Amino acid sequence: MTPRSTYQKVLGWIGLLTVFVIVAFLILPAAVVTIAAFNDKPILSFPPQTWSWRWFGRALAYEDFRQGFFNGLIVTTWSSTIALCVGGMFAFVIDRYEFPLKSAIEGILISPLVIPHFTVGLGFLILAAQVGLSRGFAIVVICHVILVLPFVLRSVYVSLRNLDQSYEHAASSLGAGPLRVLATVTLPLLLPGLVSGWLFAAILSFNEFTASLFVTSQRTQTLPVAMYNYVREFADPSMAALSVMYIVGTAALIAFANAFLGLGKVLNIEQSH
Amino acid sequence: MKPSANLEGEQAAVHFDVVSKRFDDVVALNDVTLGIGRSEFVTLLGPSGCGKTTLLKLAAGFLGPDGGSISIEGKRVNDIPTYQRGIGMMFQNYALFPHMSVAENVAYGLKTRRVPRAERDKRVADALALVKLMGMENRKPRQLSGGQQQRVALARALVINPTVLLLDEPFSALDKSLRSSMQVELREIQRKLGLTTIFVTHDQGEALSMSDRMAVMSEGRIRQLGSPVDVYRSPADPFVASFVGDNNRLRGQLVSIQAEQAIVALGDALVQVPGERLSGLEKSAAVDLFVRPEQFRIVAPGEPCVIKGSVVAQIYQGGHVDLQIECSGSVGDRLLVRSPGEQAVLRWPMGAPVGVAIQADRCSVFPAA
Amino acid sequence: MNQQPFVRIFTAPATLCAVGFLAAMAAVLQYSLRAYVPGSLDPGGLTLANFADLLKPLYARVFLDTVVVCAMTAVVTLIVGYPLAYALVRVEQPILRSILLVIVVTPLFLGEVVRTYAWIIVLGNNGFINSLLMSLGLIGKPLQLMFTSFGVVVALVHVTLPVMVIMLAAGLSHIDRDYPRAAESLGAGPIRVFLTVTLPLSLPGVVAGTTTAFAWTFSAFATPQLIGGGRVNMISNLVYQLGFSSFNFPFAATLCVAGLALTALVLGLLRLASRPLRKIEVH
Ligand SMILES: Nc1ncnc2c1ncn2[C@@H]1O[C@H](COP(=O)(O)OP(=O)(O)O)[C@@H](O)[C@H]1O
Ligand SMILES: [Mg+2]
Repeated sequence: MTPRSTYQKVLGWIGLLTVFVIVAFLILPAAVVTIAAFNDKPILSFPPQTWSWRWFGRALAYEDFRQGFFNGLIVTTWSSTIALCVGGMFAFVIDRYEFPLKSAIEGILISPLVIPHFTVGLGFLILAAQVGLSRGFAIVVICHVILVLPFVLRSVYVSLRNLDQSYEHAASSLGAGPLRVLATVTLPLLLPGLVSGWLFAAILSFNEFTASLFVTSQRTQTLPVAMYNYVREFADPSMAALSVMYIVGTAALIAFANAFLGLGKVLNIEQSH
Repeated sequence: MKPSANLEGEQAAVHFDVVSKRFDDVVALNDVTLGIGRSEFVTLLGPSGCGKTTLLKLAAGFLGPDGGSISIEGKRVNDIPTYQRGIGMMFQNYALFPHMSVAENVAYGLKTRRVPRAERDKRVADALALVKLMGMENRKPRQLSGGQQQRVALARALVINPTVLLLDEPFSALDKSLRSSMQVELREIQRKLGLTTIFVTHDQGEALSMSDRMAVMSEGRIRQLGSPVDVYRSPADPFVASFVGDNNRLRGQLVSIQAEQAIVALGDALVQVPGERLSGLEKSAAVDLFVRPEQFRIVAPGEPCVIKGSVVAQIYQGGHVDLQIECSGSVGDRLLVRSPGEQAVLRWPMGAPVGVAIQADRCSVFPAA
Repeated sequence: MNQQPFVRIFTAPATLCAVGFLAAMAAVLQYSLRAYVPGSLDPGGLTLANFADLLKPLYARVFLDTVVVCAMTAVVTLIVGYPLAYALVRVEQPILRSILLVIVVTPLFLGEVVRTYAWIIVLGNNGFINSLLMSLGLIGKPLQLMFTSFGVVVALVHVTLPVMVIMLAAGLSHIDRDYPRAAESLGAGPIRVFLTVTLPLSLPGVVAGTTTAFAWTFSAFATPQLIGGGRVNMISNLVYQLGFSSFNFPFAATLCVAGLALTALVLGLLRLASRPLRKIEVH
């Protein structure tokens, strides 16, 4: 332990308290929703008089939620896989090669980070109408690919930067052509970055709401859209129960990702010593 | 065979012909011409940033030259990618593929060459035996010590029978004793296989002890190319003189010059020195003498000497003693003097007044900068 | 290095995506310049009237509100996020660190709807805060928290906090620990070390975080819609309302274009203001 003065210790406690309060603020909504979800009464009240699991059953049985969940799976699987392929290949060439319009294309693909999702959603809605594309899954998937691409690009790009080029140099000095180097050395070493990029994209896509509200139809609505519509119409705790499942599922995925991939590294917040 | 001159493209195993390379506004290589003979072991020596790695990368094909041409075995390779050059390379951090076992690492280059399974296994085993690493085939690189990883990297580069072996500061991460045993072992293997080798280092001791010939580089140019003995004995310029081995620089004045010999005034004393690098210099021009520590001799104050001074530091080195002498005159401020054996410690104690004599016929003299 | 033939193959899909996205944005731009034909989904001829309409007090008001809400959210998020980011970077115990990381990162992935819904339960008249305060006898009748700017900002801060913390932590983690150590060795106490070394060196992260927080808040839809309940309107709500209630897509597009211009302006100003900081970016 480093030696500390009383003054430093007091400051430390104040700091700890501050962090504690902020963490409490962060988890307050999740905690409150959890309590609400177990309230037996259909109207909100704190603290609940009687407890039950029934709203979980209701949430799981509710047709719009089921439909939204499966639609979400379809959209998420397609969009994050496509984004990973497109973004992975592109991140590789921007890291390694010079070609015309390189920074222009990169800039366009990164820009959805700062363009409001309602603008992106409206844009694809109009575009679909103009080119005569029906409001099916295709337009939702395309829209999601564009929205998650910046994250995939970044994640793969960071892994590529951290990859020591001498492995690839070694492979080509041993006679491996570019595609062989890619398949036998670069890809295997990049795998954690690719997996985390995919996971990142999948979670974002599954939760995307604003743009989805514009481009989905009754038939293709994803879970967040279904939940939004539910909140607008009903006030019973089914939504709270669904939220709890959502929170638990997401936290579990994040904890898993952290254990296996090191979120700190992916998010670039590892302390340098 | 030990070629002494710069080889022409035809005879050379590797030939750089007026090669230049720049990175934005940094000139990394400035018209470098260098020929390396078959089976020759050539070191590139120079301070950090002088372009050694760049030259090696050009030979490997990781970079392309901006000007000039590079040939391997008489064939121009400027436009040939790395994987078709048939080189073997050892990297500073070894670059062993972390997701492959030792055997898979060594076999990698054979697989790219489509060597049949049976022959491949045999050659991998032979290569691992050559570097004394039998029984480690199935380990992953991270399960090996630094020295063992080094050997795997060497085996991987050797197993493909490269036309030229390239090594970039391969031993810089090893501790001293491991480093010297690897140096000897690498040289043995290289001789046995008759392998053309380019070895990059910034350690002049390593360059002197290992090379057939060494190329001393600075600021993107080759300042001198020659055998270690040549480079140590007759450095081509002041940079080489002060970079390779310990050297003392003394400021003097040219008195006269005749044929190969020159007379130089060092303070009050006159010394006769080799004059081949002073031709055309005016009388009484300033010159720099580079005198190696072992070319000095310490004498008692009364005896004939060139410089007078007193002992200010004793550095006991085991087999010899290094003394630092603070001088009174204008020739230089502190001299490093090497004295064999260990008697010097007692004979010339701290603070003792001493005289310093010079074996002037072996020192190097250049016009003052 | 030699150009490889596969480079073109690898860029083709990305180029296609970029073109698609550009086309969508061009569609918005094009609609913003077309006339609204009531009762029809197709727009009319070219006009600049939509942009003139932006100046109407009703719309100008929404723009102003949006900027105020975004700015307040960004500033509050920064103040709340900094200590957390600092803790995240400095906590050394692996388990504590992982827990903190999961707590910070999970909300980032929860999506706006779930989080906004949770805040409705917290802020509502029968919600957590009011029930708590009433049962403690501190208030007689429920406080009005829903449908206020205060409620919207609180929920938006919560929505934006994770991304702010991550960006601040990225900035903080790249500060070499030897800088504060050096300051300490020179006799600076903890507060002085923080104010003279850590804080200035983390300013690039602060700028990045604030910028992103602003952009994210600008993009928020569900939070102002559900918690603002029509009484706090942001551009996003207006766009949706125009598009899906009155099918006035041209004017919705105009608002989008104006919103983009506004974002670009604010981000540009932030960049400009932070230019002197670029010097201290340490790697
Ligand atoms: N990829 C690069 N980009 C820019 N400058 C470089 C690059 N590689 C090397 N240089 C510069 O070229 C010079 C020579 O570098 P290098 O060959 O690596 O030197 P050495 O190996 O002798 O230390 C240095 O000034 C270095 O900064
Ligand atoms: Mg180097």
